[in-house]
Amino acid sequence: MNAPLFKFGMFGDEVSLIVAFVIGIGFGFFLERAGFGSARKLCAQFYFTDLAVFKVMFTAIITAMVGLFWLSWIGFVDLSLVYVSPTFILPQTIGGLILGAGFVIGGYCPGTSCVAASTGKIDALVYIAGIFAGTFLFGELFPFLSGFYNSTPMGQVTIPQFFNLSYGLVVFLVVMMAIGGFAGTGWVEQKFSKLAKETMP
Amino acid sequence: MSSAEKAILLDNVGARVAANVRREAQPYWNPYLAGLGLGLVLLAAFVIMGRGLGASGAFASVLSVGVNAVAPQHAVSNSFYSEYLGDGTQSPLKDWLVFEVLGAVVGGFISGILAGRVRKTIEKGPRITTAGRFAYAFAGGMIMAFGAKLARGCTSGQALTGGALLGLGSWSFMLAVFAGAYAVAYFVRRQWT
Amino acid sequence: MTLSARHWTINKKLAALVGSLGFLALIAANPYKGSRLELNGRELSEIVQKEVDHVSAEELAGWIIQGKSDYRLVDLRNEKDFAEYHIPTAENLAITSLQEGSLARNDKIVLYSDGGIHSAQAWFLLKSNQFKGVYILSGGLDEWKDKILFPRLNDNASPTEIAAFEKAKLVSKFFGGIPQVGGNVASGIPKLAMPKLESPGAGQPKAGPAKKKKEGC
Repeated sequence: MNAPLFKFGMFGDEVSLIVAFVIGIGFGFFLERAGFGSARKLCAQFYFTDLAVFKVMFTAIITAMVGLFWLSWIGFVDLSLVYVSPTFILPQTIGGLILGAGFVIGGYCPGTSCVAASTGKIDALVYIAGIFAGTFLFGELFPFLSGFYNSTPMGQVTIPQFFNLSYGLVVFLVVMMAIGGFAGTGWVEQKFSKLAKETMP
Repeated sequence: MSSAEKAILLDNVGARVAANVRREAQPYWNPYLAGLGLGLVLLAAFVIMGRGLGASGAFASVLSVGVNAVAPQHAVSNSFYSEYLGDGTQSPLKDWLVFEVLGAVVGGFISGILAGRVRKTIEKGPRITTAGRFAYAFAGGMIMAFGAKLARGCTSGQALTGGALLGLGSWSFMLAVFAGAYAVAYFVRRQWT
Repeated sequence: MTLSARHWTINKKLAALVGSLGFLALIAANPYKGSRLELNGRELSEIVQKEVDHVSAEELAGWIIQGKSDYRLVDLRNEKDFAEYHIPTAENLAITSLQEGSLARNDKIVLYSDGGIHSAQAWFLLKSNQFKGVYILSGGLDEWKDKILFPRLNDNASPTEIAAFEKAKLVSKFFGGIPQVGGNVASGIPKLAMPKLESPGAGQPKAGPAKKKKEGC
């Protein structure tokens, strides 16, 4: 067991900030490569004309998931030290619905808005101003919201744990579901291709 | 090298750089390859740091610093801001997410430059005005950010990271994001289509 | 459909690769969770002999008084005892949950229990699991009570001992203890429950009003 490197004391907090910056560069780079610096491309997902969001997101998820599974299986990564954020099922679900709505209204999510802003999209700058406003609103309302915010805690629970399935089985199912989804995207995009021609660049 | 030759060389280099910046926008990458790259970055974060990616937290940190500068009493007494301000032993901006998001800005720019996609634009569909687009952008940002804080994360932190880690709440969040977006998409179709 | 993979598009190849890895994961089922320990017997025995891993009660008292926050003090006793009294800035962790993740390998960790047995055993567990800075409070809580909370001045003390006792009195007062003057100490002195400096079981003892949100997103 040697990883996560930071948690085995390989380097300190200061260096971790440099690591953050470099990882961030990779993050932003691939987001832009995928075309996620464009609100139109992002939102095309929700009109079925371009399903890149689904493809990129789920490819990333299964890559990291499968990679983590095998790296921990060979004993390189100590899984118990990888931070899983605790589940608060109700606020997370409601928050997700709200975020999804805001996503298609505004055209971005926080990460992609940064990438869009750095490649010149003025609307992304306006969106980012909106992010601050929304966060501020949440902060001000927090005393009233904290009850709901902290409701339904379930701890750091994963799908394998919750459904009492083996980790490998869930990995397999997610991979199969993703590949199945990818296979279906061709058909969906074709059905909506007329709309795509009218609206996509 | 004579000065005349130097001048010609500089001209060539300058022309090349300008052409690179000005060039036609390249097509986007195969989404599966981009996803693979993104997944490997996420995996690297797991292996190196023992944590995943994120974005919304960085905005909250910056906002908390701002609120603290204007109204410190209020910021410290509010349990939301104080969580991002910490105990005062170090700047809240020396935060992993803040640096990661700064990196993302740089990374996006590099990719954009290499692909000739850096230019001042306003992303919008054919049927809406610029002012309308800005209004939607601001409102959307507000709503999205509110949802992100309620859910304790955004698509990078909860969906990508939590999704890869098979977190129960994260998967529920991810499905809810798609549901919410599809549900509202119909009502804002004039903005995009 | 041809079976030769050379004709497959890149997408098909990627799908086949990840699909196979996923299928193998199904068979592998559960990665070996980290409870395998690696021991360097020689290194550990040298550390034990040199006693470089001990922290005296006086030293710890000094750190607490100075308000140092670069260490994590771990109380290995049960919850009830912990609630009754614990050394300020201590966190209550059961020996079974030591490796679960709240302690980082590059933290400075000071372990204590009532005497020294559990803390020594926990020390061994942590050192074998690649924790770097693990220390034992010599004498444990018993020594803490004896030297810090209830320091004793014997009747026939030497001048140096008397001088040292003056200092010990101040330290004792700081922690709410009762300095004992006089020959024999009655064994039934009630423990004084100190006003707790922060709530028991708090993650980072010196974090102040709010812990900085470290690993959220």
